[in-house]
Amino acid sequence: MDGRNCWRRGVLLLLTAVMLTACHEKNTHHVLNIGLAEEPRTLNVWLASDANSRKVLSLIYQPLYVYDPDTLDLVPWLAESMPVYDAQTLSYSVTLREARWSDDTPFTSRDVAFTGSLIQSFKVPRYASDWDFIKRIETPDSRTVRFYLKQPMAAFLTGTLSTPIVQEKEWADFAEKAQTTEKPLTALVNHRMQHPVGTGPFTLEQWRRGAFLHLKRNPHFFGIGKTIGGRTLGPFVDDLVYTVFGTSDVAILALIKGDIDMLWWPIQPGYMADLSRRKEIRLFTNEKSALYFMGFNLRRPPFNDMALRRAVAYMIDKKFIVSRILQGQGTKMFSVVPEENRFWCCTDLPRYGDGMSRENRLKAAYQVLVDAGYSWAVPPVDAAGNLQAAREIRLPGGQPMKRFTILTPPADYDPHRATSGLMIQEWLRELGMPAYARPMAFSSMLEQIKGHHDFDAFILGYGHLGLDPDYVRNLFHSANDKSRGWNMSGYRNSAFDEMADRSISEMDPVKRQALVMEMQKLIARDLPYIPLYKPSVVEAVRRDRFEGWVEMLEGIGNIWSMCQVKPVSSDGA
Amino acid sequence: MGLKRFVLRRLVEIAVIFFVIMTVLFVLFRLAPGDPVSRMVDPSMTPEDARLLMESMGLDQPLWTQYLYYLKNVATGNMGVSFHYGEPVIDILMNRLPNTVLLFTTSILLSALLGVFLGKIAAWKRGQRTDTLLTIGALFCHTLFLPWLALIMIWFFAYRVGWFPITGMVSPDVWIDPGAGWLAKALDVLHHMALPLMTLILIHFGSYLLVMRSSMLDTLKDDYIITARAKGLEEKTIRDHHAAPNAALPVVTSVGLSLAFSINGGALTETVFTWPGIGRELVFSVSHSDYPLAQAAFLIIAIVVLVANLVVDVLYAYLDPRIRY
Amino acid sequence: MTDANLPSPKTGTTPGMAAGRALPHWVDRFLGGWRVYRKNTIGRIGMALLVLFALMATTSFIPQWVDPMYHPMTGVDPQISYSTGPSLRHWLGTDFIGRDIFSQLLAGARIAFMVGISSALISILFGTTIGMVAGYAGKHTDLILMRLADMIMVMPTLLVVLLLSALFGQLNIWIIVLMIALFRWPGVARVIRSQTLSLRHRPFIEAARVAGASHLRIIFRHILPNVMPLALLYMTFRVTSAIIIEAALAFLGFGDPGTVSWGMMLQWVWKTGHMFQAPYWMLPPGICISLITMAFYMTGRAMDDVLDPRLREEETTP
Repeated sequence: MDGRNCWRRGVLLLLTAVMLTACHEKNTHHVLNIGLAEEPRTLNVWLASDANSRKVLSLIYQPLYVYDPDTLDLVPWLAESMPVYDAQTLSYSVTLREARWSDDTPFTSRDVAFTGSLIQSFKVPRYASDWDFIKRIETPDSRTVRFYLKQPMAAFLTGTLSTPIVQEKEWADFAEKAQTTEKPLTALVNHRMQHPVGTGPFTLEQWRRGAFLHLKRNPHFFGIGKTIGGRTLGPFVDDLVYTVFGTSDVAILALIKGDIDMLWWPIQPGYMADLSRRKEIRLFTNEKSALYFMGFNLRRPPFNDMALRRAVAYMIDKKFIVSRILQGQGTKMFSVVPEENRFWCCTDLPRYGDGMSRENRLKAAYQVLVDAGYSWAVPPVDAAGNLQAAREIRLPGGQPMKRFTILTPPADYDPHRATSGLMIQEWLRELGMPAYARPMAFSSMLEQIKGHHDFDAFILGYGHLGLDPDYVRNLFHSANDKSRGWNMSGYRNSAFDEMADRSISEMDPVKRQALVMEMQKLIARDLPYIPLYKPSVVEAVRRDRFEGWVEMLEGIGNIWSMCQVKPVSSDGA
Repeated sequence: MGLKRFVLRRLVEIAVIFFVIMTVLFVLFRLAPGDPVSRMVDPSMTPEDARLLMESMGLDQPLWTQYLYYLKNVATGNMGVSFHYGEPVIDILMNRLPNTVLLFTTSILLSALLGVFLGKIAAWKRGQRTDTLLTIGALFCHTLFLPWLALIMIWFFAYRVGWFPITGMVSPDVWIDPGAGWLAKALDVLHHMALPLMTLILIHFGSYLLVMRSSMLDTLKDDYIITARAKGLEEKTIRDHHAAPNAALPVVTSVGLSLAFSINGGALTETVFTWPGIGRELVFSVSHSDYPLAQAAFLIIAIVVLVANLVVDVLYAYLDPRIRY
Repeated sequence: MTDANLPSPKTGTTPGMAAGRALPHWVDRFLGGWRVYRKNTIGRIGMALLVLFALMATTSFIPQWVDPMYHPMTGVDPQISYSTGPSLRHWLGTDFIGRDIFSQLLAGARIAFMVGISSALISILFGTTIGMVAGYAGKHTDLILMRLADMIMVMPTLLVVLLLSALFGQLNIWIIVLMIALFRWPGVARVIRSQTLSLRHRPFIEAARVAGASHLRIIFRHILPNVMPLALLYMTFRVTSAIIIEAALAFLGFGDPGTVSWGMMLQWVWKTGHMFQAPYWMLPPGICISLITMAFYMTGRAMDDVLDPRLREEETTP
């Protein structure tokens, strides 16, 4: 019953614990400690649609081609050379590199063919669209794969060839079994992977759920010592340890303290000032191939009217969003194609309200609305041209505008979009519009927008847009205006459809470019989406532990970095 | 024996309560706006697969059949597959449960012990400065905002002073070292647990202190204490061996009453400290709309609370000789 | 505490008692209580803090009236687009988009009072009614109501509200208030019930029953005034828990995004990465939440002492 004794013992135990762990010897080989924002979802490559799982799996499963970090051109990876196109038979031949799986069995063309047929037969969500135009896959010998296409498809090079390849031996039995169940795809994606076998630079050693994930250097990695794309590959670290931090605050503390060497997720602008002052920390700022936009429901009033959408475009102060909400860590967007994608992005587009003062944008929007027949109980601009508090906007038909909601993801998921929604709400209210921003749980929001088409407007973003502009067609083609289809706005324009259809089978890049530019112009005119901004990626690493990070679109967290980082030489002890 | 019957009766009551909670949860999941299927079926699934899954879960059946399915599934531990992890939720949660129980029980035990110990002193020195300081200190600690305090603790003890690891439950470098024995690992976990534990104790000991103090004040007026005094026993003996054990009984009850409060605090603490427990998983599943996981996490937390309540009741009955069951 | 030790319940025996005569008695009782309360250090600290927070809440309208850039939600400083430390222009600095932290803090006090008091009122209303009905009716009604109370009591409120917000999407502040209230009545109901039980067989209740008063009349006319002080006492504790739960909910990101509460402010600091960078922004809301809950708690404890004369003697004799 004596509490004091008990306490003494407890304190003693704790102190011993502190001392023992402090004295614990560090490993002599090089461990790269990486901080993650969230637990990876799974090690099953077919379920892994989240960024955190991909950060692990992209080092295990490898594609045939990867992008060069500087030029963003395709570089042969598991393949030995660029694919050879045969226009006659509409086929591509790929020669494979001599490589081995991490279980020391050879990597052959059968693995590639198997991966393709698995994706096709199970219709694996993220990959199926890149493979459904492939008629058949042939394997003339163990190092050659030949893909026969149903029709010319621009996405073949960018999509199909960058699919991660899995081992036939590992998946064949299970895939066969899954096919016999009543829900093959569910069985496949819910298959629990314990030890994925890959061809990448690292293999899984252990995963303690909720704590850390440990990867070891793969001695069978094909790239060791080779020079690919002008870069000599390692990996030069023996172990990778991913630790999960619940919040970026503590992760940053851990980085400053030296518990981790790299934070593999973009940090908030709030940290930058402090971190850039510390000499042991290095910051990387990179562009992101992304599109954050405000979308409208064109299927119902009030946003079925182009003039109203244009007025909204005038009211949105993108400079405010970028400089305040993003703290300058981003760029304004005017096309649905990011500007970094120089070849495909159209710069000759109307920049609604850009550079205007608040008064001017309000007047411009007011003019657009007046011309379209809108009226007010109290208009935002009075007869003398002075601003006043607007009240009760009326549709061209004379009936008052019903209140509408702008759906955004919740603040804890993305504070930027949630805050942008609130600000846009305030701006639209200046026009007398009954706007209500409503943050909503992400999946229920998608369900409402994509599944039921029951919404007025929303703010969403695509964080990792492919470099191929095929998504411009996907996002606005009328054929995709269906439940769970890509075309969330319900944009229907036959001229656009016709151009879009021509663009996918156009194999001449210059002609395709012209079509894609035209498509962007149509979108900027009709505004089913208003492009808002594109955040930059700011990442932080410790200077004193590892060097040789490779910067790329999307930041330093890429396969090149992981193959090339070396311990800083003075850290040899 | 009486105790057995008492436990049995409480068990039946707990079963009934759990059953009601299950039912309420079932109703809630169907009352919520939108399509109940979308709450059970991963939105990324193809329509055909979704239909098959619906059928296998009985979602195409009338409500009462669905309810029976649901009861059967919960009883067999088949609470669905997490949208996020793609694994049976029960596997995920069973992996997290021991972590939660470890943190939860240690924190309650230690804060109750500390509360009893300090409460005893406060009552003994009633009206003096020690008493006032202890009471106000207890009140102050008790009302600190937990997640805020947790972050300050991290900043100070883990970052500034560097005594403890920043967050998490294990250090990878200990656990990937093949040479590390179980003792090193256990100590590593203890080392990580220290900070969340300190935070929880700081928040919780206050209420136990206050209960102990007032119950001790009552006890001190009881006849047997006066008798003990009359016998000329040493003050410390009276305090520690005569008054305190009896005065501590209400603390046990108050532990029972504050269990729900502690579980709330546990979830916040786990979230801030990245402690891989059920509370954190619940918060996570809610923000990711992982309905099967949220539902199962909530049911398991309910079980934990109910069982903890039972333990407290039995303990109380066992400790207090006056209770006849 | 459950003991009925109120000065003179006998005054209630005459059913036709005029309200005018009862009032001085109430005032008298209140003044008597106040006299005891005033001597209590803890109570004095609590009351002082409460007055301070009330002042904050009432002045919260002033900044935005001075200049629209001080609006806690939508006003931004045209010259500042990042978080800055305290200055003359912004006494506590600005948040990440240039909003004034001090005016947010004032607005937060208003929300805290609103959430705390309204949710406590609702839960006291429920708790008192249910407790009185259970205690007065007894038998099966009592059993069922108390089992219900037991069941709700073991539920962790925060997690229940979290689960609800997962199901129903982002919750409105008033829904959150109502939810907290609905889960916090059982404690009150229990205490009120035992108080009612002890009153039930008092002569003045018996007398009222003999005089033919209806059950409703007895409950509201005769029992309610006697359990009222206890209910008020519990209200202060409920205020505390309501404020904490709302703050925790907002901190985790499930609060009402349209309100500026202290929990919301902490969520902004936390999510925008200023937690350890901007002490001027991170400390005030946390301190305010802690202090306001402490203030209510202290007031409650002091009131408890006033209502429990046994402890009062304890405190005054040595």
